[in-house]
Amino acid sequence: MRLEPAAGLGLGAILGLTALALTLRPATRARAASSRLAVRAPTLDPRAAVHAARRMNRAAGVIAASVLADSAIEHYRGSFHNKAMVTPLVTATLSLAASVHGNADKDAAAHRLRDAVYAAAALTGLAGTGFHLFNISQKPGGFSWQNLFYSAPLGAPAALILSGLMGFLAERVRDTVPGQPPTIGGLSAGRVVAAVTSLGLLGTVGEAGLLHFRGAYHDPFMYLPVTIPPLTAASIGHAALGRSHRRRSLTRFWLRFTALLGFAGTGFHIVGVARNMGGWRNWRQNVLNGPPIPAPPSFTGLALAGLAALGLMQDHPDD
Amino acid sequence: MTDRYPAYDVLAKRWTESWNEVTRKVIDRRLAAPREPRFFSASEWRTLGALCDRILPQPKDRPPVPLPAYVDQKITDGRLDGYRYAGIPPQGVAWRRGLAALEAASQEAHGGSFHALSAEQQDGLLHRMQHGDLTGEAWGGMPCNLFFQHRVIPDITHAYYAHPTAWNEIGFGGPASPRGYVRMGLDRRDPWEAAEATSRKEAARARRNDSDVV
Repeated sequence: MRLEPAAGLGLGAILGLTALALTLRPATRARAASSRLAVRAPTLDPRAAVHAARRMNRAAGVIAASVLADSAIEHYRGSFHNKAMVTPLVTATLSLAASVHGNADKDAAAHRLRDAVYAAAALTGLAGTGFHLFNISQKPGGFSWQNLFYSAPLGAPAALILSGLMGFLAERVRDTVPGQPPTIGGLSAGRVVAAVTSLGLLGTVGEAGLLHFRGAYHDPFMYLPVTIPPLTAASIGHAALGRSHRRRSLTRFWLRFTALLGFAGTGFHIVGVARNMGGWRNWRQNVLNGPPIPAPPSFTGLALAGLAALGLMQDHPDD
Repeated sequence: MTDRYPAYDVLAKRWTESWNEVTRKVIDRRLAAPREPRFFSASEWRTLGALCDRILPQPKDRPPVPLPAYVDQKITDGRLDGYRYAGIPPQGVAWRRGLAALEAASQEAHGGSFHALSAEQQDGLLHRMQHGDLTGEAWGGMPCNLFFQHRVIPDITHAYYAHPTAWNEIGFGGPASPRGYVRMGLDRRDPWEAAEATSRKEAARARRNDSDVV
Protein backbone atom coordinates (compact mmCIF):
# COMPACT_ATOMS: atom_id res chain seq x y z
CA MET A 1 0.00 0.00 0.00
CA ARG A 2 1.27 3.46 -0.89
CA LEU A 3 0.19 6.66 0.75
CA GLU A 4 0.23 9.56 -1.62
CA PRO A 5 1.44 12.76 0.06
CA ALA A 6 -1.05 14.77 -1.99
CA ALA A 7 -3.92 12.64 -0.71
CA GLY A 8 -2.67 13.20 2.85
CA LEU A 9 -2.53 16.94 2.32
CA GLY A 10 -5.99 16.95 0.78
CA LEU A 11 -7.40 14.98 3.68
CA GLY A 12 -5.71 17.34 6.12
CA ALA A 13 -7.15 20.36 4.31
CA ILE A 14 -10.66 18.95 4.35
CA LEU A 15 -10.41 18.16 8.04
CA GLY A 16 -8.97 21.58 8.78
CA LEU A 17 -11.81 23.33 6.97
CA THR A 18 -14.39 21.16 8.71
CA ALA A 19 -12.84 21.99 12.08
CA LEU A 20 -12.81 25.68 11.20
CA ALA A 21 -16.45 25.57 10.16
CA LEU A 22 -17.33 23.91 13.46
CA THR A 23 -15.58 26.58 15.51
CA LEU A 24 -17.87 29.25 14.06
CA ARG A 25 -20.77 29.85 16.42
CA PRO A 26 -23.96 28.90 14.64
CA ALA A 27 -25.56 31.92 16.29
CA THR A 28 -27.86 33.10 13.53
CA ARG A 29 -29.03 29.66 12.63
CA ALA A 30 -29.54 28.78 16.26
CA ARG A 31 -31.47 31.96 16.99
CA ALA A 32 -33.75 31.34 14.06
CA ALA A 33 -34.51 27.91 15.40
CA SER A 34 -34.60 28.95 19.02
CA SER A 35 -38.35 29.50 19.32
CA ARG A 36 -39.01 26.01 18.05
CA LEU A 37 -36.39 24.39 20.28
CA ALA A 38 -37.23 26.43 23.33
CA VAL A 39 -40.67 24.93 23.43
CA ARG A 40 -39.33 21.41 23.73
CA ALA A 41 -36.13 21.90 25.67
CA PRO A 42 -36.28 21.92 29.46
CA THR A 43 -34.68 24.66 31.53
CA LEU A 44 -31.34 25.37 29.91
CA ASP A 45 -28.71 26.04 32.50
CA PRO A 46 -25.69 27.61 30.77
CA ARG A 47 -23.53 26.05 33.45
CA ALA A 48 -24.66 22.59 32.32
CA ALA A 49 -22.85 22.94 28.99
CA VAL A 50 -19.70 24.24 30.70
CA HIS A 51 -19.91 21.38 33.20
CA ALA A 52 -20.18 18.85 30.37
CA ALA A 53 -17.35 20.54 28.48
CA ARG A 54 -15.10 20.33 31.53
CA ARG A 55 -15.90 16.64 31.90
CA MET A 56 -14.86 16.20 28.28
CA ASN A 57 -11.69 18.22 28.93
CA ARG A 58 -10.90 15.71 31.64
CA ALA A 59 -11.56 12.82 29.24
CA ALA A 60 -9.29 14.40 26.62
CA GLY A 61 -6.66 14.96 29.33
CA VAL A 62 -6.68 11.36 30.50
CA ILE A 63 -6.22 10.13 26.92
CA ALA A 64 -3.50 12.73 26.33
CA ALA A 65 -1.64 11.64 29.47
CA SER A 66 -1.83 8.02 28.31
CA VAL A 67 -0.56 8.93 24.84
CA LEU A 68 2.17 11.17 26.25
CA ALA A 69 3.63 8.48 28.50
CA ASP A 70 3.15 5.70 25.95
CA SER A 71 4.69 7.57 23.02
CA ALA A 72 7.55 8.78 25.23
CA ILE A 73 8.41 5.21 26.18
CA GLU A 74 7.88 3.67 22.75
CA HIS A 75 9.63 6.42 20.82
CA TYR A 76 12.52 6.33 23.28
CA ARG A 77 12.66 2.63 22.50
CA GLY A 78 12.79 3.60 18.82
CA SER A 79 15.72 5.88 19.74
CA PHE A 80 13.83 8.83 18.16
CA HIS A 81 15.23 7.42 14.94
CA ASN A 82 13.07 9.86 12.99
CA LYS A 83 13.06 13.43 14.34
CA ALA A 84 9.28 13.56 13.83
CA MET A 85 8.95 11.02 16.65
CA VAL A 86 9.17 13.93 19.10
CA THR A 87 5.94 15.44 17.73
CA PRO A 88 3.43 13.34 19.72
CA LEU A 89 5.33 14.14 22.92
CA VAL A 90 4.91 17.83 22.24
CA THR A 91 1.29 17.75 21.09
CA ALA A 92 0.18 15.27 23.78
CA THR A 93 1.82 17.48 26.43
CA LEU A 94 0.00 20.51 25.00
CA SER A 95 -3.27 18.57 24.83
CA LEU A 96 -2.81 17.58 28.47
CA ALA A 97 -2.06 21.18 29.42
CA ALA A 98 -5.09 22.43 27.47
CA SER A 99 -7.24 19.86 29.26
CA VAL A 100 -6.00 20.93 32.68
CA HIS A 101 -6.64 24.53 31.69
CA GLY A 102 -10.08 23.69 30.33
CA ASN A 103 -10.98 21.79 33.47
CA ALA A 104 -10.19 24.86 35.56
CA ASP A 105 -11.88 27.27 33.15
CA LYS A 106 -15.55 28.08 33.89
CA ASP A 107 -16.04 30.45 30.97
CA ALA A 108 -18.92 29.61 28.68
CA ALA A 109 -16.94 30.20 25.50
CA ALA A 110 -14.41 28.23 23.51
CA HIS A 111 -10.79 29.17 24.09
CA ARG A 112 -8.85 29.87 20.91
CA LEU A 113 -5.54 28.47 22.10
CA ARG A 114 -7.15 25.30 23.47
CA ASP A 115 -8.96 24.91 20.18
CA ALA A 116 -5.70 25.22 18.28
CA VAL A 117 -3.92 22.77 20.59
CA TYR A 118 -6.66 20.17 20.37
CA ALA A 119 -6.84 20.50 16.59
CA ALA A 120 -3.06 20.15 16.38
CA ALA A 121 -3.19 17.04 18.59
CA ALA A 122 -5.85 15.43 16.41
CA LEU A 123 -3.93 16.26 13.24
CA THR A 124 -0.70 14.93 14.78
CA GLY A 125 -2.52 11.73 15.60
CA LEU A 126 -3.77 11.51 12.05
CA ALA A 127 -0.31 12.17 10.61
CA GLY A 128 1.15 9.64 13.05
CA THR A 129 -1.30 6.99 11.91
CA GLY A 130 -0.21 7.76 8.36
CA PHE A 131 3.45 7.49 9.34
CA HIS A 132 2.88 4.18 11.08
CA LEU A 133 0.91 2.84 8.10
CA PHE A 134 3.71 3.93 5.79
CA ASN A 135 6.32 2.43 8.12
CA ILE A 136 4.55 -0.95 8.09
CA SER A 137 4.07 -0.85 4.32
CA GLN A 138 7.84 -0.36 3.89
CA LYS A 139 8.76 -3.41 5.99
CA PRO A 140 9.46 -6.69 4.27
CA GLY A 141 6.15 -8.52 4.22
CA GLY A 142 4.06 -5.34 4.30
CA PHE A 143 0.81 -5.69 6.19
CA SER A 144 1.58 -9.12 7.60
CA TRP A 145 0.66 -10.24 11.11
CA GLN A 146 4.33 -10.13 12.02
CA ASN A 147 4.56 -6.43 11.12
CA LEU A 148 1.21 -5.53 12.65
CA PHE A 149 2.39 -7.14 15.89
CA TYR A 150 5.92 -5.84 16.07
CA SER A 151 6.14 -2.67 13.98
CA ALA A 152 4.86 0.78 14.84
CA PRO A 153 1.35 0.23 16.25
CA LEU A 154 -1.54 1.72 14.28
CA GLY A 155 -3.79 2.24 17.29
CA ALA A 156 -1.38 4.34 19.34
CA PRO A 157 -1.46 7.52 17.23
CA ALA A 158 -5.20 7.03 16.81
CA ALA A 159 -5.50 7.60 20.57
CA LEU A 160 -4.00 11.04 20.05
CA ILE A 161 -6.68 11.73 17.43
CA LEU A 162 -9.28 10.82 20.06
CA SER A 163 -7.72 13.10 22.68
CA GLY A 164 -7.62 16.02 20.27
CA LEU A 165 -11.09 15.28 18.94
CA MET A 166 -12.62 14.95 22.41
CA GLY A 167 -11.00 18.25 23.45
CA PHE A 168 -12.14 19.92 20.26
CA LEU A 169 -15.69 18.69 20.85
CA ALA A 170 -15.45 19.92 24.45
CA GLU A 171 -14.75 23.40 23.13
CA ARG A 172 -17.81 23.15 20.84
CA VAL A 173 -20.00 22.12 23.77
CA ARG A 174 -18.62 24.98 25.87
CA ASP A 175 -19.32 27.36 23.00
CA THR A 176 -23.04 26.73 23.31
CA VAL A 177 -25.15 29.82 22.75
CA PRO A 178 -26.91 30.69 26.04
CA GLY A 179 -30.41 29.34 26.06
CA GLN A 180 -29.63 26.80 23.34
CA PRO A 181 -28.98 23.10 23.64
CA PRO A 182 -25.36 22.26 22.77
CA THR A 183 -24.98 21.11 19.19
CA ILE A 184 -22.06 20.07 17.06
CA GLY A 185 -22.47 20.58 13.35
CA GLY A 186 -26.21 20.87 13.87
CA LEU A 187 -26.44 17.55 15.69
CA SER A 188 -27.06 17.03 19.39
CA ALA A 189 -23.65 17.32 21.05
CA GLY A 190 -24.42 14.48 23.42
CA ARG A 191 -25.18 12.16 20.52
CA VAL A 192 -22.03 13.19 18.64
CA VAL A 193 -19.80 12.62 21.68
CA ALA A 194 -21.53 9.32 22.40
CA ALA A 195 -20.96 8.18 18.81
CA VAL A 196 -17.29 9.24 18.86
CA THR A 197 -16.87 7.44 22.19
CA SER A 198 -18.40 4.27 20.79
CA LEU A 199 -16.15 4.28 17.70
CA GLY A 200 -13.10 5.23 19.76
CA LEU A 201 -13.75 2.36 22.13
CA LEU A 202 -14.03 -0.08 19.24
CA GLY A 203 -10.73 1.14 17.78
CA THR A 204 -9.02 0.83 21.14
CA VAL A 205 -10.47 -2.67 21.53
CA GLY A 206 -8.95 -3.53 18.14
CA GLU A 207 -5.52 -2.41 19.32
CA ALA A 208 -5.78 -4.23 22.64
CA GLY A 209 -7.14 -7.30 20.88
CA LEU A 210 -4.26 -7.38 18.40
CA LEU A 211 -1.59 -7.02 21.06
CA HIS A 212 -3.24 -9.35 23.56
CA PHE A 213 -3.57 -11.92 20.78
CA ARG A 214 0.17 -11.43 20.19
CA GLY A 215 0.55 -12.14 23.91
CA ALA A 216 -1.48 -15.35 23.38
CA TYR A 217 -3.93 -14.30 26.13
CA HIS A 218 -1.54 -15.99 28.51
CA ASP A 219 -3.37 -14.42 31.43
CA PRO A 220 -7.18 -14.78 31.57
CA PHE A 221 -7.50 -11.10 32.56
CA MET A 222 -6.19 -10.23 29.09
CA TYR A 223 -9.68 -11.07 27.80
CA LEU A 224 -11.25 -8.22 29.80
CA PRO A 225 -10.39 -5.34 27.40
CA VAL A 226 -11.77 -7.32 24.45
CA THR A 227 -15.02 -8.26 26.20
CA ILE A 228 -16.11 -5.39 28.46
CA PRO A 229 -15.34 -2.36 26.23
CA PRO A 230 -17.13 -3.83 23.18
CA LEU A 231 -20.26 -4.14 25.34
CA THR A 232 -19.71 -0.57 26.49
CA ALA A 233 -19.21 0.58 22.89
CA ALA A 234 -22.44 -1.14 21.86
CA SER A 235 -24.28 0.36 24.80
CA ILE A 236 -23.11 3.94 24.29
CA GLY A 237 -23.53 3.54 20.53
CA HIS A 238 -27.13 2.52 21.14
CA ALA A 239 -27.56 5.56 23.37
CA ALA A 240 -26.17 7.81 20.61
CA LEU A 241 -28.88 6.65 18.25
CA GLY A 242 -31.69 5.97 20.74
CA ARG A 243 -34.02 8.09 22.85
CA SER A 244 -32.29 10.79 24.81
CA HIS A 245 -34.30 11.25 27.99
CA ARG A 246 -33.63 7.91 29.56
CA ARG A 247 -31.57 7.20 32.63
CA ARG A 248 -29.46 4.51 30.91
CA SER A 249 -28.19 3.01 34.15
CA LEU A 250 -26.78 -0.03 32.39
CA THR A 251 -24.80 2.12 29.94
CA ARG A 252 -23.46 4.11 32.88
CA PHE A 253 -22.50 0.89 34.61
CA TRP A 254 -20.53 -0.34 31.59
CA LEU A 255 -18.85 3.03 31.17
CA ARG A 256 -17.81 3.11 34.83
CA PHE A 257 -16.62 -0.46 34.60
CA THR A 258 -14.56 0.44 31.50
CA ALA A 259 -13.13 3.50 33.26
CA LEU A 260 -12.05 1.29 36.13
CA LEU A 261 -10.71 -1.30 33.70
CA GLY A 262 -8.36 1.30 32.20
CA PHE A 263 -6.68 1.87 35.53
CA ALA A 264 -6.78 -1.83 36.42
CA GLY A 265 -5.03 -2.50 33.09
CA THR A 266 -2.14 -0.31 34.17
CA GLY A 267 -1.94 -2.33 37.38
CA PHE A 268 -1.95 -5.59 35.43
CA HIS A 269 0.74 -4.27 33.11
CA ILE A 270 2.90 -3.27 36.08
CA VAL A 271 2.61 -6.86 37.30
CA GLY A 272 3.34 -8.02 33.74
CA VAL A 273 6.61 -6.10 33.72
CA ALA A 274 7.54 -7.69 37.04
CA ARG A 275 6.92 -11.12 35.53
CA ASN A 276 9.46 -10.59 32.76
CA MET A 277 12.94 -12.00 33.31
CA GLY A 278 14.79 -9.82 35.80
CA GLY A 279 11.54 -8.15 36.90
CA TRP A 280 11.56 -4.52 37.93
CA ARG A 281 15.26 -4.67 38.72
CA ASN A 282 15.70 -5.06 34.94
CA TRP A 283 13.28 -2.18 34.32
CA ARG A 284 15.39 -0.59 31.59
CA GLN A 285 14.59 -3.57 29.38
CA ASN A 286 11.26 -4.75 30.77
CA VAL A 287 9.41 -1.43 30.76
CA LEU A 288 10.14 -1.30 27.03
CA ASN A 289 9.73 -5.01 26.35
CA GLY A 290 6.84 -5.81 28.66
CA PRO A 291 3.20 -4.74 28.41
CA PRO A 292 2.83 -0.96 27.91
CA ILE A 293 2.00 0.46 31.34
CA PRO A 294 0.50 3.79 30.20
CA ALA A 295 -1.66 2.40 27.38
CA PRO A 296 -4.79 1.06 29.18
CA PRO A 297 -6.05 4.42 30.63
CA SER A 298 -7.09 5.34 27.08
CA PHE A 299 -10.14 3.23 27.92
CA THR A 300 -10.68 5.34 31.04
CA GLY A 301 -10.54 8.56 29.04
CA LEU A 302 -13.05 7.28 26.52
CA ALA A 303 -15.36 6.03 29.26
CA LEU A 304 -15.26 9.46 30.92
CA ALA A 305 -16.19 11.01 27.57
CA GLY A 306 -19.08 8.55 27.30
CA LEU A 307 -20.35 9.52 30.75
CA ALA A 308 -20.12 13.18 29.76
CA ALA A 309 -22.10 12.37 26.61
CA LEU A 310 -24.85 10.70 28.64
CA GLY A 311 -24.94 13.75 30.90
CA LEU A 312 -25.29 16.01 27.88
CA MET A 313 -28.10 13.94 26.44
CA GLN A 314 -29.92 13.86 29.75
CA ASP A 315 -29.51 17.61 30.29
CA HIS A 316 -30.58 18.43 26.75
CA PRO A 317 -32.98 15.79 25.47
CA ASP A 318 -33.82 16.26 21.82
CA ASP A 319 -36.75 13.93 21.42
CA MET B 1 42.88 -7.23 15.36
CA THR B 2 41.51 -3.71 15.35
CA ASP B 3 39.80 -2.74 18.56
CA ARG B 4 36.20 -2.27 17.51
CA TYR B 5 34.96 -1.78 21.06
CA PRO B 6 37.63 0.27 22.82
CA ALA B 7 37.56 0.22 26.63
CA TYR B 8 34.62 -2.24 26.60
CA ASP B 9 34.86 -4.92 29.30
CA VAL B 10 31.93 -7.32 29.45
CA LEU B 11 32.97 -8.45 32.93
CA ALA B 12 31.99 -5.01 34.22
CA LYS B 13 28.38 -6.23 33.81
CA ARG B 14 28.90 -8.81 36.50
CA TRP B 15 27.09 -7.01 39.32
CA THR B 16 24.65 -5.05 37.16
CA GLU B 17 21.09 -6.02 36.29
CA SER B 18 22.42 -7.55 33.06
CA TRP B 19 23.63 -10.68 34.81
CA ASN B 20 22.00 -12.79 37.48
CA GLU B 21 23.39 -15.46 39.78
CA VAL B 22 23.08 -18.23 37.19
CA THR B 23 24.96 -16.18 34.60
CA ARG B 24 27.69 -15.31 37.10
CA LYS B 25 28.12 -19.01 37.96
CA VAL B 26 28.35 -20.01 34.30
CA ILE B 27 30.97 -17.35 33.56
CA ASP B 28 32.94 -18.17 36.71
CA ARG B 29 33.09 -21.80 35.70
CA ARG B 30 34.38 -20.91 32.25
CA LEU B 31 37.03 -18.61 33.63
CA ALA B 32 38.10 -21.26 36.13
CA ALA B 33 38.46 -24.09 33.56
CA PRO B 34 41.57 -26.13 34.51
CA ARG B 35 44.53 -25.30 32.29
CA GLU B 36 45.86 -28.88 32.46
CA PRO B 37 44.47 -31.75 30.39
CA ARG B 38 42.07 -34.14 32.05
CA PHE B 39 41.08 -36.10 28.97
CA PHE B 40 44.07 -35.77 26.65
CA SER B 41 47.54 -37.28 27.14
CA ALA B 42 50.57 -35.00 27.32
CA SER B 43 51.52 -35.59 23.70
CA GLU B 44 47.93 -35.12 22.44
CA TRP B 45 47.79 -31.93 24.50
CA ARG B 46 50.90 -30.53 22.78
CA THR B 47 49.48 -31.33 19.33
CA LEU B 48 46.11 -29.82 20.26
CA GLY B 49 47.80 -26.64 21.54
CA ALA B 50 49.71 -26.22 18.28
CA LEU B 51 46.54 -26.94 16.27
CA CYS B 52 44.56 -24.31 18.21
CA ASP B 53 47.33 -21.76 17.62
CA ARG B 54 46.94 -22.22 13.85
CA ILE B 55 43.12 -22.32 13.73
CA LEU B 56 42.71 -19.25 15.95
CA PRO B 57 46.00 -17.36 16.37
CA GLN B 58 45.73 -14.98 19.30
CA PRO B 59 47.44 -11.65 19.99
CA LYS B 60 50.40 -11.76 22.35
CA ASP B 61 49.46 -8.62 24.28
CA ARG B 62 46.66 -10.23 26.30
CA PRO B 63 46.13 -13.52 28.11
CA PRO B 64 44.99 -16.08 25.50
CA VAL B 65 41.61 -17.78 25.57
CA PRO B 66 42.54 -21.30 26.84
CA LEU B 67 41.29 -23.11 23.74
CA PRO B 68 42.81 -26.58 24.39
CA ALA B 69 41.44 -26.45 27.94
CA TYR B 70 37.92 -25.75 26.63
CA VAL B 71 38.10 -28.58 24.09
CA ASP B 72 39.27 -30.88 26.90
CA GLN B 73 36.52 -29.63 29.21
CA LYS B 74 33.83 -30.21 26.60
CA ILE B 75 34.89 -33.84 26.23
CA THR B 76 35.42 -34.37 29.98
CA ASP B 77 31.99 -32.95 30.76
CA GLY B 78 30.43 -35.05 27.99
CA ARG B 79 28.79 -32.02 26.39
CA LEU B 80 27.63 -33.39 23.04
CA ASP B 81 26.40 -31.60 19.94
CA GLY B 82 23.17 -33.55 19.69
CA TYR B 83 24.10 -35.03 16.32
CA ARG B 84 27.10 -36.78 14.80
CA TYR B 85 28.26 -37.56 11.28
CA ALA B 86 28.19 -41.27 10.66
CA GLY B 87 31.77 -41.23 9.43
CA ILE B 88 33.09 -39.69 12.65
CA PRO B 89 33.25 -41.61 15.96
CA PRO B 90 32.08 -40.00 19.26
CA GLN B 91 33.88 -36.73 20.02
CA GLY B 92 36.52 -38.03 22.49
CA VAL B 93 37.47 -40.95 20.24
CA ALA B 94 37.48 -38.70 17.17
CA TRP B 95 39.74 -36.12 18.80
CA ARG B 96 42.24 -38.74 20.08
CA ARG B 97 42.36 -40.44 16.72
CA GLY B 98 42.54 -37.19 14.75
CA LEU B 99 45.39 -35.75 16.85
CA ALA B 100 47.34 -39.02 16.67
CA ALA B 101 46.84 -39.16 12.89
CA LEU B 102 47.95 -35.52 12.52
CA GLU B 103 51.07 -36.31 14.55
CA ALA B 104 51.74 -39.37 12.40
CA ALA B 105 51.29 -37.30 9.23
CA SER B 106 53.74 -34.75 10.61
CA GLN B 107 56.35 -37.44 11.35
CA GLU B 108 55.88 -38.89 7.89
CA ALA B 109 56.07 -35.58 6.02
CA HIS B 110 58.64 -33.66 8.06
CA GLY B 111 60.24 -36.18 10.40
CA GLY B 112 59.19 -34.23 13.49
CA SER B 113 56.34 -33.61 15.93
CA PHE B 114 53.48 -31.37 14.74
CA HIS B 115 53.96 -28.89 17.58
CA ALA B 116 57.62 -28.44 16.68
CA LEU B 117 57.00 -27.64 13.01
CA SER B 118 57.08 -24.15 11.55
CA ALA B 119 53.75 -22.37 11.11
CA GLU B 120 53.98 -22.85 7.33
CA GLN B 121 54.58 -26.58 7.69
CA GLN B 122 51.66 -26.86 10.14
CA ASP B 123 49.38 -24.93 7.80
CA GLY B 124 50.42 -27.17 4.92
CA LEU B 125 49.36 -30.28 6.84
CA LEU B 126 46.10 -28.63 7.96
CA HIS B 127 45.28 -27.68 4.37
CA ARG B 128 45.78 -31.28 3.36
CA MET B 129 43.53 -32.36 6.22
CA GLN B 130 40.88 -29.86 5.17
CA HIS B 131 40.93 -31.13 1.59
CA GLY B 132 40.79 -34.78 2.56
CA ASP B 133 44.34 -35.49 1.42
CA LEU B 134 45.67 -37.06 4.64
CA THR B 135 45.32 -40.80 4.65
CA GLY B 136 46.76 -43.66 6.62
CA GLU B 137 45.87 -46.32 9.12
CA ALA B 138 45.99 -43.82 12.01
CA TRP B 139 42.74 -42.26 10.77
CA GLY B 140 40.97 -45.61 11.26
CA GLY B 141 38.60 -44.96 8.36
CA MET B 142 37.59 -41.47 9.63
CA PRO B 143 37.64 -39.02 6.68
CA CYS B 144 40.16 -36.32 7.68
CA ASN B 145 38.17 -33.53 6.01
CA LEU B 146 35.03 -34.42 8.01
CA PHE B 147 37.12 -34.40 11.18
CA PHE B 148 38.49 -30.98 10.22
CA GLN B 149 35.12 -29.57 9.28
CA HIS B 150 32.95 -30.99 12.01
CA ARG B 151 35.31 -31.41 15.00
CA VAL B 152 38.35 -29.18 14.68
CA ILE B 153 36.70 -25.97 13.45
CA PRO B 154 33.50 -25.99 15.52
CA ASP B 155 35.06 -27.17 18.78
CA ILE B 156 37.88 -24.60 18.66
CA THR B 157 35.89 -21.62 17.39
CA HIS B 158 32.98 -22.31 19.75
CA ALA B 159 35.49 -22.47 22.60
CA TYR B 160 36.94 -19.14 21.56
CA TYR B 161 33.61 -17.32 21.41
CA ALA B 162 32.51 -18.78 24.74
CA HIS B 163 35.11 -16.62 26.50
CA PRO B 164 34.61 -13.02 27.72
CA THR B 165 37.83 -11.96 25.97
CA ALA B 166 36.25 -12.80 22.61
CA TRP B 167 33.03 -11.02 23.66
CA ASN B 168 35.01 -7.85 24.32
CA GLU B 169 36.38 -8.10 20.79
CA ILE B 170 32.96 -8.40 19.17
CA GLY B 171 31.02 -6.19 21.60
CA PHE B 172 28.85 -9.04 22.86
CA GLY B 173 27.16 -8.65 26.25
CA GLY B 174 27.34 -12.27 27.36
CA PRO B 175 24.30 -14.40 28.22
CA ALA B 176 21.07 -12.40 27.91
CA SER B 177 20.10 -13.48 31.38
CA PRO B 178 18.27 -11.67 32.72
CA ARG B 179 18.75 -8.58 30.57
CA GLY B 180 18.44 -9.16 26.85
CA TYR B 181 17.77 -6.89 23.92
CA VAL B 182 14.96 -4.51 23.09
CA ARG B 183 16.08 -2.67 19.96
CA MET B 184 16.30 -5.46 17.40
CA GLY B 185 16.49 -3.46 14.16
CA LEU B 186 19.60 -3.20 12.04
CA ASP B 187 22.16 -0.76 13.41
CA ARG B 188 20.04 -0.08 16.52
CA ARG B 189 21.62 -0.36 19.91
CA ASP B 190 20.33 -0.65 23.46
CA PRO B 191 22.02 1.74 25.88
CA TRP B 192 23.54 -1.19 27.77
CA GLU B 193 25.12 -2.64 24.62
CA ALA B 194 28.74 -1.96 23.68
CA ALA B 195 29.17 0.95 21.29
CA GLU B 196 31.07 0.15 18.12
CA ALA B 197 33.91 2.52 17.33
CA THR B 198 34.04 4.33 14.04
CA SER B 199 37.12 6.30 13.11
CA ARG B 200 35.17 9.53 13.53
CA LYS B 201 33.55 8.88 16.84
CA GLU B 202 36.17 6.59 18.31
CA ALA B 203 37.11 8.70 21.29
CA ALA B 204 33.54 9.44 22.33
CA ARG B 205 32.55 5.80 21.98
CA ALA B 206 35.52 4.70 24.06
CA ARG B 207 34.48 7.02 26.84
CA ARG B 208 30.93 5.74 26.68
CA ASN B 209 32.03 2.10 26.90
CA ASP B 210 34.10 2.96 29.91
CA SER B 211 31.30 4.55 31.89
CA ASP B 212 27.80 3.66 30.71
CA VAL B 213 27.80 0.20 29.21
CA VAL B 214 27.28 -1.99 32.20
